[in-house]
Amino acid sequence: MHPSVEAFALAAGLLAFGAALVHRFGFPPLPVYLLTGLLMGKALPVQDLEPLPSLGLLLLLFSVGLEFGPDRLRGLSGKAVQAGIYDALALPLGFLLGLFFGLDLRGAALLAGAIYVSSSAVIVKLIIDLRRAANPESEVVLGVSVLEDLVILVLLALLGGQGFQGFVLSLLLAGLYLSLGRFLGPSLVTFMENLSDELVLLLGASFTTGTALLFQAAGASVGLGAFLAGSLAASLGLRERFERLFGPVRDLGVALFFLVVGASARDLFQGLTPAVVALALLGLLLKLPLNYLGGARAGLSRKRRLYSAFYLVPRGEFNLVLGALAQAQGYPLVAQVAVLLVLVSIPLGAVLTRFAPELGRILLRETQSRPARIP
Amino acid sequence: MRVEEAVLPGVGRKFTITVQSGDRLVIVVHHSGKRELQYFEAGEDGDEPIMALDLTDEEARELGAILAGVLFHPEAVGDTQSKLGQKVIEWIKVLPGSKLAGKRLAELTLPPGAHLLAVDRPGAPLIPNPSPEVVLEVGDTLVVAGSREAVEALMRTL
Repeated sequence: MHPSVEAFALAAGLLAFGAALVHRFGFPPLPVYLLTGLLMGKALPVQDLEPLPSLGLLLLLFSVGLEFGPDRLRGLSGKAVQAGIYDALALPLGFLLGLFFGLDLRGAALLAGAIYVSSSAVIVKLIIDLRRAANPESEVVLGVSVLEDLVILVLLALLGGQGFQGFVLSLLLAGLYLSLGRFLGPSLVTFMENLSDELVLLLGASFTTGTALLFQAAGASVGLGAFLAGSLAASLGLRERFERLFGPVRDLGVALFFLVVGASARDLFQGLTPAVVALALLGLLLKLPLNYLGGARAGLSRKRRLYSAFYLVPRGEFNLVLGALAQAQGYPLVAQVAVLLVLVSIPLGAVLTRFAPELGRILLRETQSRPARIP
Repeated sequence: MRVEEAVLPGVGRKFTITVQSGDRLVIVVHHSGKRELQYFEAGEDGDEPIMALDLTDEEARELGAILAGVLFHPEAVGDTQSKLGQKVIEWIKVLPGSKLAGKRLAELTLPPGAHLLAVDRPGAPLIPNPSPEVVLEVGDTLVVAGSREAVEALMRTL
């Protein structure tokens, strides 16, 4: 049998074990996949797992594009936009931080992106797993995520290309996909509705991977391609169907992908410098007060503001895309910071989100008990 | 009643329903079909729900049907009444041995104030506004509406 089957069986077993372990405590499984990779990476023949992890990332970005595409902008409430504006202050601050650490303009912009963009995929998963969907802060947090993903989309289109030609091609392709969705989408909706599920699944798979390859051939970012494929599919009225058809495949791929990220992080830790750690920590700390203030602008109560800041801690898919881009463009420092942010922020964010009510009680106790004493 | 709707990207849709008493109900319809319900009492600072309930897609539909006043179990046919103000709707099943079986609708005398809306024949499309030529069969369900007295009078004659 092909060695990949052996590797797959081992990986799936380990992931299932890890997920079962934390399930008992009502804890989301995502950080466990990373930790499993980190702990077991040496024993696992990670290379044999390909192409499942790579497909997992592409499908993840595809489904992020499906759910957080530009057409979501219309449904955004004013409060989410207000919170998003505060959140976006992380970009200039991150940029300055990068310049301060001796990066050039391009490197600093990549760093700013890595610090700025939270992982909508991880946040959605945490919100669903921890049953926070009905809470008012979730609406704001998800709205902010929509804005973040769109800003990163622009950033990737601007920085993704290698050289001037890549830059132009990248922008052209992104523009083409967006306008295709905008103008061709509505007229194709009924046509798509008549296709069978199986055909839609196959078309979607080939469309996603094909788009990613096209973007790669043009010297643009693969991640950008997968994301745009998702938002184009959404404008064809296929959002719910893809969510249903691709969901399980994606979840499996994503689990394996995070396992591989964890496994490959061992090398990262060997080359860890104080500058990388400092930048990652500063990046994490930078966004907390911004999101707290953003929550205030969105009209959330003090407790909910704190929750919303916690929810937005996890960095994920786009950090890995930006990290790969930074590595390719000769900014190993930025690449390390981006990946370290993912490794630290997903477990940290999961813990903070899980225990947000308890933490809120501790942190806000003083201010909450004061009005109670007045009578 | 005020209903606010919000899209939760990646999760589903959120409906916030404020009823006359000021109590609030938050309903999240997930892409997976799951429904999350949270109930907030009026007057509280409204931050923590008093009650939370998870429903599967099927449960939610059933609950919705009950709330909408439509009971759809065929076994319950006969005592299924839906109130439209002072008017009622009644589902009457043609059981084996019923004197309705084999009759043309034209032969049916409805008390004044009772109206035949439709005939539901298992395995066939609903027959709305059935013509007098329709012949009733065992298993058919008559959907009758009208004033409570008229419909109850009709029930007694059958």
